[in-house]
Amino acid sequence: MTSTAEHIAEPDLLDRLLDIHPGTHLHAVRHARAKVASATQGSQDLFFDPALENNLSLSERLWVAYFAARLTPQATLTAHYLEQLQVLGLDETVHVAVDSGAVETLKDARLRVILGFTRTLIESPVHGDQVALQALQHEGLSTAEIVVLAQLIAFLSYQVRLAAGLGALQSAGAA
Amino acid sequence: MSELIRSNGFTNEVLGWKAWLPTVDLNSATGEQVAVLQESHPQAMTSDYYLTLAHHPDILRQRSQAFNAIMYAPGGLSRAERELASTVVSRINRCVYCASVHAQRFEQLAKRNDVISEVFADPATAGTTDRERAIVQFAIDLTLEPASLSAGHIQTLREQGLDDAQVLDLIHAIAIFAWANRLMLNLGEPVFTAP
Repeated sequence: MTSTAEHIAEPDLLDRLLDIHPGTHLHAVRHARAKVASATQGSQDLFFDPALENNLSLSERLWVAYFAARLTPQATLTAHYLEQLQVLGLDETVHVAVDSGAVETLKDARLRVILGFTRTLIESPVHGDQVALQALQHEGLSTAEIVVLAQLIAFLSYQVRLAAGLGALQSAGAA
Repeated sequence: MSELIRSNGFTNEVLGWKAWLPTVDLNSATGEQVAVLQESHPQAMTSDYYLTLAHHPDILRQRSQAFNAIMYAPGGLSRAERELASTVVSRINRCVYCASVHAQRFEQLAKRNDVISEVFADPATAGTTDRERAIVQFAIDLTLEPASLSAGHIQTLREQGLDDAQVLDLIHAIAIFAWANRLMLNLGEPVFTAP
């Protein structure tokens, strides 16, 4: 089940993680909105493409995703992103800092600022400001990288809620 | 003209939005950036928001496809009810710009803004019918407490006559504004143009 850089025609991530199987009521309901499902998966594929034209490393993007899912919390996606980090070779010191919420203690200043920005956007998006963007610029992130980072965190805010909604529909069963 | 609403810092008047980062310069934009802007929104070429997101055109393309399919696709939940949910999420997340845009869209579709006044005043009690109150409350719960979502939430919506396709449309409209609000709140700020 572990997929690395090889892009195999993977099934839709949310269908797979939430056990939404073809032939079921919920699968039919979800895929009646085919454009939404395909743009959701298309975003997933882009954000976690190892070759994303960008200097945000895959590892940084996965830490953002793991931290965002953990803060929400959304258990299924948290487990998924942790598994992806383990495929890359997880840094245990970072893992401990992230799990205890103490991202400000991270030695890697760049990751510290990236995960601080993640926390603000996930927990209290109204409190973001220009100073937060300057802190990212100070750590060497270009304009395009900041846009990708903001898009990634914003996408994760969408994905965790879509997963929560689909999970609730799944447990409600067919009407 | 619609009746002006100003309440708790929220409004239904037309606002501008100013980017904090340098935007893509159309004179030096790539063909792909221009194509994605044209696909995304009728006014994207003159919008600071889209000209910021165009720094990564592939990601913007997927975002716009999701957004446009969620907000404009025919059938399912009425477009007015989708706009109501988007306005509630924007009110909860305190995205004044987004709340203004989607308050206006709701009014264009529904030809009234009574429920928008209520959402701006106090989302927790807003809704002119039981069905509206259920939609508003679901939007609040999925925005603030996604981990609390359960079969009971779905049952409440079904009791108000929503079928599962409409419930999914509602989930999509709420979730896509978790996305949109965070970009609008963190990459720039609203500009108040009215006197």
